[in-house]
Amino acid sequence: MSLAVKPHYPDYSNAPIQRSFNPYADNGGSVVAIAGDDFVIIGADTRLSAGFSIYTREQNKLFQLSPTTVLGCSGCWCDTLTLTRILNSRMQMYQQEHNKIMSTEACAQMLSTMLYYKRFFPYYISNVLVGLDNNGKGCVYSYDPIGHCEKATYRAGGSAGALLQPLLDNQIGQKNMLNVKQESVSQEKALSIIKDVFISAAERDIYTGDSIQIKIITKEGIKEEKFELRKD
Amino acid sequence: MFLTRSEYDRGVNTFSPEGRLFQVEYAIEAIKLGSTAIGICTSEGVVLAVEKRITSPLMEPTTIEKIVEVDKHIGCAVSGLMADSRTMIDRARVECQNHWFVYNENMSVESCAQAVSNLAIQFGDSDDGAAMSRPFGVAILFAGIDEKGPQLYHMDPSGTFVQFDAKAIGSGSEGAQQSLQEVYHRSMTLEEATISALTILKQVMEEKLNSSNVEVMTMTPGNLFHMFTKEQVEEALRNVCPVEHPLALNVSKQRV
Repeated sequence: MSLAVKPHYPDYSNAPIQRSFNPYADNGGSVVAIAGDDFVIIGADTRLSAGFSIYTREQNKLFQLSPTTVLGCSGCWCDTLTLTRILNSRMQMYQQEHNKIMSTEACAQMLSTMLYYKRFFPYYISNVLVGLDNNGKGCVYSYDPIGHCEKATYRAGGSAGALLQPLLDNQIGQKNMLNVKQESVSQEKALSIIKDVFISAAERDIYTGDSIQIKIITKEGIKEEKFELRKD
Repeated sequence: MFLTRSEYDRGVNTFSPEGRLFQVEYAIEAIKLGSTAIGICTSEGVVLAVEKRITSPLMEPTTIEKIVEVDKHIGCAVSGLMADSRTMIDRARVECQNHWFVYNENMSVESCAQAVSNLAIQFGDSDDGAAMSRPFGVAILFAGIDEKGPQLYHMDPSGTFVQFDAKAIGSGSEGAQQSLQEVYHRSMTLEEATISALTILKQVMEEKLNSSNVEVMTMTPGNLFHMFTKEQVEEALRNVCPVEHPLALNVSKQRV
């Protein structure tokens, strides 16, 4: 028996030709959100990349859906574009049909059902929805690509999500710490933690960097901030 | 040339030269053959009271259902063709559940009325798309609690829906609406409203009012949809003034 590899000529083979279709791209990006008693802050990096190349260093990934609701998206950028366009039209249709602006809670549930309706060809997006609830309290909702929704007070999602969540668990959730008293986070502390965790993410994750777009939502309105990250 | 009505009242989607849709107007007339239903909206909640026509002593009165629950926070009183009302109530229920499913919140009473209104105008004699070949012969009173508080809406077969403080539909509606205008005031309590509704119902009903030929429902922020039991109806009827005179309403008001 010969050890030589048997040559394979596909044109002369009867084996079925396999083709593959990859409808998804991973364009990276991270989103971090922290909610307090009367505010919620969400930040997303502005790098849009594919593999080792960067498409742009200034891509905003935060979408304002209503005066009190903002969605942060990362993952497949084309899916993000489509999802946010549909969401915007659904927000407008809701307002015209029911004569009121959709609440953050209603928006959170609607996003969940919209994602689940694409159960077998999902939007490849890591979504983090933030806003103020009907009582003015900050809230964070995070999703998996097929619509599982979880309400939290802080969340990291996207390419550096797994890297940052334990950091937030410790710094915001005060997990695995002895003799700490549970108190809600202040707006200043939340903002500085968001900046800190993104600096950390930019060090380790090549898909996160360039700068972060931050939105601070309070009952007075939405304030926007930009913060520079390392660009390599 | 004068055109007779009969030429333009055949097709359900043909306007007469005067700009009227006769079949829709006839459907509105059909409501006036139905049993009387009264709704009063107060700051404490909404009350619905409906007459049930017991046409035979062998009839089982509890099987006539003229007040139904649409969702926990919305109830309906109907008058007219009961079979048609089933279709509309079913739509109202589906829309409320769908709204809850998609938005995880209660549907507002106005939106519910809007949804049913969309069904009400889906009539036509073509083969495609119409839910019904003729207008629905039903008038509906929607009583509900939403973020704006207690609400009462009325919808007629043309699909037109309007919010009311107090509204009567059905055969005795004209007299009852007049009486409602006299007794209604903004600071009415729910108990006063219940007594007024039953007193007016008593005035316009042909049969004698008793606990088996009337249905009463209250919609309050605390208890939401609450259908009166036979005992509760009897209790409420005891407070209804025995004298059949419009002035009696003032007496019953003082008693509360």
